[in-house]
Amino acid sequence: MREVTATVLENKQIAESVYSLTFYTEEEFEIRPGQFVMVGVGEYPLRRPFAVCMAEGDRVTVCYQIKGRGTAFLATNYRAGEKLSVLLPLGNGFFVKEEEKKVAIVGGGVGVFPLISAIRAYANDKEIYAYMGFRNKRALCMEYEMQRGKSLVVATDDGSYGFRGTAVKAFMEDFGKIRPDVVLSCGPAPMLRALKNATAGTGVPVYVSLEERMGCGIGACLVCVCNQTGGRHARVCKDGPVFEINEVEL
Amino acid sequence: MADLRVNLCGIELKNPVIPASGTFGFGREFDEIYDISALGGVATKGLTLEPRSGNGVPRIAERHGVILNAVGLQNPGVEAFLKNDLAWLKSKTRVFANVAGKTLDEYAEICARLDGLVDFVELNISCPNVKCGGMAFGIRPESIREVTAAAKSSLKRTPLIVKLSPNVESIPANAAAAREGGADCLSLVNTFTGLAIDVERGRPVLANNTGGVSGAGIKPIAVRMVYEAAHAVDIPVVGMGGIACAEDAIEFLMAGATAVQVGTANFTDTQSCPKIIAELSDWCDRHGVKRVSELTGSLKLN
Repeated sequence: MREVTATVLENKQIAESVYSLTFYTEEEFEIRPGQFVMVGVGEYPLRRPFAVCMAEGDRVTVCYQIKGRGTAFLATNYRAGEKLSVLLPLGNGFFVKEEEKKVAIVGGGVGVFPLISAIRAYANDKEIYAYMGFRNKRALCMEYEMQRGKSLVVATDDGSYGFRGTAVKAFMEDFGKIRPDVVLSCGPAPMLRALKNATAGTGVPVYVSLEERMGCGIGACLVCVCNQTGGRHARVCKDGPVFEINEVEL
Repeated sequence: MADLRVNLCGIELKNPVIPASGTFGFGREFDEIYDISALGGVATKGLTLEPRSGNGVPRIAERHGVILNAVGLQNPGVEAFLKNDLAWLKSKTRVFANVAGKTLDEYAEICARLDGLVDFVELNISCPNVKCGGMAFGIRPESIREVTAAAKSSLKRTPLIVKLSPNVESIPANAAAAREGGADCLSLVNTFTGLAIDVERGRPVLANNTGGVSGAGIKPIAVRMVYEAAHAVDIPVVGMGGIACAEDAIEFLMAGATAVQVGTANFTDTQSCPKIIAELSDWCDRHGVKRVSELTGSLKLN
């Protein structure tokens, strides 16, 4: 974990209100799939936490949705060559065990981006079955990266592209056929709850990457907690963002 | 090279820069980024007798130049701190144990537990984010005197710092009350109670509804309050509120602070504290200041 000054290589729109930001750092970092970075934006007091979508050598790509003034400022003011203060790599990331060969990936909305890092990391050694949900065709992006596994089903809520319905629904229709050894997921809370219900009793471990408003991003301030079963608060930034789905209240 | 050492209640700090309570945990996470033995001290996350789980989320919001937080004193309890963190933290730097209680007895009990083990106890009587205790003690002079005296009765060896709330009628009156209760030092300001509204939902951003406002935007108010406190009592004052660079810290020193705490800036830039220490040294050298302690109270009014 380090704080570094990075240089923007590219910061471009890739879907409706979604941007892809690629920067490089002076030194190379080993970044696990599912880890994240905190990016300093202009004069804003808080850094913005973004999941790593792709990491290769000294290059890191994160994708973000414009949600407020900070992300809007980032989208409009950081062109190639601009300097950026970045804290990385953060969080635990996904861990797929040696014996887990068939990996199902279920993502929704901007939750697909940390999962792309998992697809890239495991595509060579594992059988990857990806199910990625979007609101509609205009929200779809990075389809090429999501196709690196054995199969990809894109789902849209309105049926404007691919499977009509949610990624969880598409996944569960194939569940019996695939019999995954492990499921990795990230997406909005209702999607994660649906996944938890749908996979309950199957005995297949499901790991979810959570999102929360953060302060420090390194585990010191106790701002970004989630409820663990048993009533304990876990830090999303340090103990997570990836948790076993039954460990946390969604 | 200017001499950055300062003397606080007879205890030497290697420099006057201390990360503020609640922004720095017990120092372990930041120590992964830089060696925290560079710091004058560390103010710990607020400790209570029993572990507390704190408020719901979201616990943080951002507005122009400020943040709001409502963590609600989540902490593992004083025993866990003593067992797991104190020896390590003490091997690094001076330990300012920030403590809170629900009752006078709890304040006395937690202080008794820490007496002689930490370098300073910083009494949190001004947390705006918990229903019971915290700020309830920190508003009126009579209750400030009472809670300070309760804490002081348990502290035979460790100096007592009382952390004052800015959400009050009179800083000089409250500073004097803490002094009368037996405080060895004051620290201020804690956060200003604020409200951030998500206009799309017509609801507060924070789960706790209100939260404590901190960051650059509060600095001029904090400097004024530190000036008032420092001129109301004859005990040292630790100043804080929106410090992000050496000049900010120097404003507090000139206003009368002996040392400063840095909170929100740790989030903006993880290296804020060591940068401020380095800049402070440079600033003193450029201005012919031999000892940083010369700056304390050096303000001349117009």
